[in-house]
Amino acid sequence: MATDARRENISWIGGIRRAGLAPAVGTTLVVLLLLWLSVNLAKTPSDFASVALEGVTLGLVYGLIALGYSLVYGILELINFAHGDVFMLGSWASFAFAAHQLNLGADSSGFSVIWGLGLTLLVAMAFCGILNVTIERLAYRPLRNAPRLAPLITAIGMSFILQDVGLNRLGPAPVSVPNILPTGAVFSIGGNEYRWSSLIVALTTFPILFLLIWLVQRTRQGKAMRATAQDQEAAAMMGINVNRTISFTFLIAGSLAGVAGLLYALYSTNIRYDQGFQLGLIAFTAAVLGGIGNLPGAVLGAILIGLIQQFNEGLSWHAPSSQWTQSIVFAILILILVFRPEGLLGERTPEGG
Amino acid sequence: MPDYRRPWYHRWAGLLGEPRRRWRSLDDKQRRRANAVLKVVLVLVVLYISWPLGVLVAVLFGANYLDPYIPERASWSRRALIPTIIGVIAITYPFYNGSLADMKLFGAYPDVNTAVIMGVYVIMAIGLNIVVGYAGLLDLGYVAFYAMGAYTCAWFASVQFANHKIHFGATGVASTTPGIHINIWLLVLIAGILTAFIGILIGLPTLRLRGDYLAIVTLGFGEILPQVANNGDSLGGFNVTNGPNGITPIDAPGIFGTSFQTGSGTFFTGPRLYFWFVLILVAITVFCSLRLRDSRLGRAWIAIREDETAAAAMGVPLMRTKTWAYATGAFFGGVAGAYFASFKSSTFPNDFNFNISAFILSMVILGGMGNVWGVMFGAAFLAYLNQEGLANIGHQLNQTFGTHLEVPLYQFGIYGAIIVLVMLIRPEGLIPSARRRAEFHEGVHDTPLYDTQHE
Amino acid sequence: MSRSPLLAVLIGLTAVLALLAAGCGGGGGSKGGNATALPASSCSDIYYQGDGSPDYVIASDLPLQGSGRAQTVQMTEAIKFILKQHNFKAGKYKIGYQSCDDATAQEGAWASEKCSANAQAYAQNKSLIGVIGTFNSGCAEIIIPVLNRAPDGPVGMISPANTYVGLTHSGPGTASGEPDKYYPSGKRNYIRIVAADDFQGAADALNTQQLGLKKVYILNDKQAYGLGVATDYRNSLNKLGIKVAGFSAWNSKASSYTGLATQIKQSGADSVFIGGLICENGGKLIKDLASVLGNKVTLMAPDGFTPISAVVSGAGNVSEGMYISVAGEPNEKLGAKGKAFVKDFGATQSGGNVDPYSAYAAQSAEVLLNAIENSDGTRAAVAANLLKTKVTDGILGSFTIDANGDTSSNPVTVYQIKGGKQTTYKTITPPQDLVKGA
Repeated sequence: MATDARRENISWIGGIRRAGLAPAVGTTLVVLLLLWLSVNLAKTPSDFASVALEGVTLGLVYGLIALGYSLVYGILELINFAHGDVFMLGSWASFAFAAHQLNLGADSSGFSVIWGLGLTLLVAMAFCGILNVTIERLAYRPLRNAPRLAPLITAIGMSFILQDVGLNRLGPAPVSVPNILPTGAVFSIGGNEYRWSSLIVALTTFPILFLLIWLVQRTRQGKAMRATAQDQEAAAMMGINVNRTISFTFLIAGSLAGVAGLLYALYSTNIRYDQGFQLGLIAFTAAVLGGIGNLPGAVLGAILIGLIQQFNEGLSWHAPSSQWTQSIVFAILILILVFRPEGLLGERTPEGG
Repeated sequence: MPDYRRPWYHRWAGLLGEPRRRWRSLDDKQRRRANAVLKVVLVLVVLYISWPLGVLVAVLFGANYLDPYIPERASWSRRALIPTIIGVIAITYPFYNGSLADMKLFGAYPDVNTAVIMGVYVIMAIGLNIVVGYAGLLDLGYVAFYAMGAYTCAWFASVQFANHKIHFGATGVASTTPGIHINIWLLVLIAGILTAFIGILIGLPTLRLRGDYLAIVTLGFGEILPQVANNGDSLGGFNVTNGPNGITPIDAPGIFGTSFQTGSGTFFTGPRLYFWFVLILVAITVFCSLRLRDSRLGRAWIAIREDETAAAAMGVPLMRTKTWAYATGAFFGGVAGAYFASFKSSTFPNDFNFNISAFILSMVILGGMGNVWGVMFGAAFLAYLNQEGLANIGHQLNQTFGTHLEVPLYQFGIYGAIIVLVMLIRPEGLIPSARRRAEFHEGVHDTPLYDTQHE
Repeated sequence: MSRSPLLAVLIGLTAVLALLAAGCGGGGGSKGGNATALPASSCSDIYYQGDGSPDYVIASDLPLQGSGRAQTVQMTEAIKFILKQHNFKAGKYKIGYQSCDDATAQEGAWASEKCSANAQAYAQNKSLIGVIGTFNSGCAEIIIPVLNRAPDGPVGMISPANTYVGLTHSGPGTASGEPDKYYPSGKRNYIRIVAADDFQGAADALNTQQLGLKKVYILNDKQAYGLGVATDYRNSLNKLGIKVAGFSAWNSKASSYTGLATQIKQSGADSVFIGGLICENGGKLIKDLASVLGNKVTLMAPDGFTPISAVVSGAGNVSEGMYISVAGEPNEKLGAKGKAFVKDFGATQSGGNVDPYSAYAAQSAEVLLNAIENSDGTRAAVAANLLKTKVTDGILGSFTIDANGDTSSNPVTVYQIKGGKQTTYKTITPPQDLVKGA
């Protein structure tokens, strides 16, 4: 279990902290960042706004994946490396179902799109949820009592296996998904459109989030999840079926990944077999950024990262170009963790809210 | 739980845990007998795959069994027995390599070049073992140290900085060649020290973070450094790393005036020289690792790994000890990276990615976390699989079963499956340290309060 | 002595065993007749269907994994096709062929340790007399010096696809010390039958000028090929006096390029040059550029964006009207021999599609076999012959190789995507003075 020896004062950093310099340094950095943003806002307000909107939309999709990471980590303290690849398989499953089974395309009628996508959503959620539960049963449960690194390596191994499945199904090149969602503009900010597909994707994430929060806060299963996350043995003593709760958590996390997969496929219209690793990395970074185990924190972290990415690539005044995006995302993560080791919203067990 | 109360599917689902439960219920004597039977089976399997390997495994197990019978006066030889056998076999490898018949399933024995690559990964795995295995710090960005070592070697042994002309002990480099050319052996040391320094810089602000936060931060560094290398052709106007085109060619090491590129004669061929010297580096690394493990610092690391609070209460300076672990791990990573860059005679930013960090981590865990021999074996085996083994396995499968499997399409999956299987069967690693083994195989009286394994 | 006798016995036994087994050391694959095969971990079995067993082996070094697989696998088929046509003989020598892979599954692309291991294998295997490869210039940078220093003279290598300028001659955009640093022995052993990036950059610049475009935004994928061709293109544009609105990289791991497209829109460019590979998320990039910039903006790309069918499938119908340049003649402009090859070889391929690179691979095989035929069977002689290549009415027409290893035939074909298919737009052979400045 976690010890309280999280913060350690070494000579000079301790000195800085004691002198109260750390908050000062941290605040200066934040102020500089905000200054840079406001200059850009002043120079090109419409571009700033459209870039910010894209960042938020992207961030919400990342957030769905990050929630899955956070849930599993909160309950098992396991970084589930295979989660990103479950997401990728969710994208593939949605694409295969929607485009090939239902034959949805750019020219499908509105009604068929709505009920087709609804069906695809259910299929994707079921597929990924069951996949995740199977992985847990096969690979993680036997290692429940092993030291933490054994399931971590198993997760990496499962990630390789799933990537291979994706490689065999999708091929090595990115696959183009037809524009099922309408690509017309909802509104225009100074010549930059905000497309319907982006809006629909962004709006779809909200009910999912609320559903999740309701699930974790108000249902018995949710309470069981929170209890197991706090203390497995005590929860077992209280009569909670720990194994079933953990399986349930994986089911929920998998379903979230499935939804994220579908939304990503619709939003980005290009899916590739290695998108799972890339986005899983971003999503896990987001989860850590927000405070590990903390659900709203995961979403906040994800939105932040989406914004950072888009600002870096889209703004023009002294913006490091997109060749530095990865580095900047991680540099900001490292800086935030150095000055605030428990993450943005503080780490918590998933108490929701 | 009586059978009639459990639904039928529980019985089938429980099958996976059955062998483990049976194992737990054995007492010590039964367990030792079961172990012996398993070892015999293993020897037979390896004998079938390839008889020389089988003989070697049998000799190693046999030496272990004979261990209690060796008189006390010969304790030196008892400890040196197995390493000496392995050492002799390794050193003479290039000689009998070609006359060994192919292994079943794995194909031909690795050739000398692959053996050099295996050696380099062994050094990196031992370095990571110090960080993860001894000190218990989860490091997901070890590739950053590898990259640092490789680029240090590249900077000081190539034409990258062509406006300077510094030659110092380089072999096989014409004196008119521009650039900085320093003796590779010196460079390997310099690269190690520089990388250790970078490790300290990275570690200072981040080592106070808790386990998984540290993991993600190290992962971040592992992503940042290669990107800096890729964009390094115009850092503030300076071409530091030549960007995506990489730095090539890098000088080769030399000994007594002979450059490793060309070798000298038919006995000291280039690849053999590389191989023997990587063996020397591996030996030095193993020696350092063992001495560190048995030193005060090593014991401090183990104390931190087991329980930080207790260690702090015992007076172990947490931050300093962790930083030392990090720096030492970085040192070996830098050494390995430098030697590897010189061997490949090139270094590209694309060489470095998270997969390599995961790869080295899996070598450490698979081999047996905390145990140098286990880690060595895990590293050699996995590096061999990655370079040659998987392709060979695919070929053999195709030949024996007449299938036309596109080997490259399944390589990834096979590798993942191997990792998962080994973890499921033996989560403590193939050759765990004695401590780990004791942790894992609890006695009959150590059943947990509520058996959450058994539904 | 109180040392354990057991130790001495065991050491002695092991040593004796080792020395007994010490014969002809060194690794190597199975023996096949006179020629020793390259190791199975990188290379396929020897492809030889002539009589007896082959005297020598030629190898192809291509990335057989990853997104370019379809192209490279067809290239190996083309080489086999040519070898079969020659009845596995080059003059009086019997030649076998092995197809070697320089990619790893982990990378999904060429990997430097694989290239390095392959190079060592080629150098040490005395039966190997010539190499067709590589596909990626970075891999060539590793292999050429090793082949150059190989025992028995430099081993000749002929590339159907490398376009990085610095491999054969220096120029703006190449690093210092190139190309001599790849030829430590001082003798050249590498030729290529495809025009280098400076030609492609110059041709693209001419095309831009002829299309009447005034302001170009140049993107690159921050990989060796993309950066090189984008730099060459920019230099050529500068020489022609066309404005460059911006020069930046795109992040191949990003999920959305609307931010980048917004920046390009701000710069007021009327066209975008995408210097890089399609597999670096090029499809998504084209989609986002098209959606933000609309169809007033022209998109152009070099041959990293081939096969063009991949562009169409990756970007959908927004790729309509995009210009893609490929070094070399289009299939329909090939001479009689070339057309015959496309027809006959296409008949053996499912779907009948012949990738342009297959014609290059076939021509490389012809050139190499010719060089072997005119040699005395030594590696050095083959390498020297490669640099004296003169081809008349070959698959790719007529051309010669100069002392640097570059080809004299440097047309660049610009294709345009119309109706989801590739159509030949025009062929440009850039003048020397524009190329020199590229």
